[in-house]
Amino acid sequence: MAAFTVIGHTELSGSAASIEFTSISGSYDHLYIQASLRTTSSDSPRGGSLQLGNGSVDTGTNYSWTQLDAWTSTPASSHPTGETYLGGFKLVGTDALADTFSSATFWIPNYANTANFKQVLVSGVCPNNSTTNYEWHLGVAGGLWSATSAVDVVKISCDDLAQYSTVTLYGVTGA
Amino acid sequence: MAVIEAIATQYLEAEAASVTFSSIPTTYEHLQIRMSARSTYNYFLASPRLTFNGAAGTAYSSHDMKGASSTASAAGSTGEAWTKIPRYTTGNGDNNYADRLQTGDYGPAVIDILDYRNANKNTTVMAVGGAALTTTGLAVALASGLFDDTTVITSITLDSDGSWMRGSEFTLYGLNSS
Repeated sequence: MAAFTVIGHTELSGSAASIEFTSISGSYDHLYIQASLRTTSSDSPRGGSLQLGNGSVDTGTNYSWTQLDAWTSTPASSHPTGETYLGGFKLVGTDALADTFSSATFWIPNYANTANFKQVLVSGVCPNNSTTNYEWHLGVAGGLWSATSAVDVVKISCDDLAQYSTVTLYGVTGA
Repeated sequence: MAVIEAIATQYLEAEAASVTFSSIPTTYEHLQIRMSARSTYNYFLASPRLTFNGAAGTAYSSHDMKGASSTASAAGSTGEAWTKIPRYTTGNGDNNYADRLQTGDYGPAVIDILDYRNANKNTTVMAVGGAALTTTGLAVALASGLFDDTTVITSITLDSDGSWMRGSEFTLYGLNSS
């Protein structure tokens, strides 16, 4: 049996508020997401949002994460709690170099179990042809969705996502 | 069809100035390089460089967030002929730093190149890499790379400040989206 299965892939044909996958099968062991994203915001790097749910996206204050990130010469760590989304990654916007998209990956282990809260490992970068502070970004984060429900909905948003933004959702199976 | 396919592996039986993956199929959605390498550079850390489609010029930018020994920092550069991806690997340090190295010390890295065939996007890269050293001087970095060009990527070259040493290994994977 293949270790990786493509559950879904979306490329935006125009700007949209979010990319969402629903009715995700619980037959895999883990979920893995690769995203190439740009926002229509002119105030970037702009914080991105990952929301999870069962049946529908959970918009309650059930998300927290610890992040290590940099957009100046001094990396910093922080620990937001009680949020309505999981962050830790940012998106390139229209004030950055044209045709340039952020890269982000999300690893969601044991997403279908109903005994534990769900963990997410996030890595994200905002490339740009600028070395000016706050015009680029790099970050890693460990996140938590404080719910024991199985994850069958995943939603990524950031203001409006720009045309050509893509998200690929994989199901990962162990031996 | 497997979701992740190995396109090519290059295992160096002898020193090489660079490694190139050419004629990359445009049938995948994303590319990923997994490498374990060591450079002849006369220091315990080396800085790999990545170029696309044989293009030099000034279209590349790089940013990194790194930890080197006990110090964390971040930096960027732009207008260069390559992108500094991955930021670090293990150097050879033949003279001054030989005490920090053993024969088996190589630097691991994973490089993601998303939507490499999408002609509406500049080529962007995200990489995590480091230098594995037996004693002191370890380093790790999350890095981004930008190639200000929307041309589909068909060739990738990795070189370093120094040649790649024997035993260095590079594998290029293609990730499907359907």
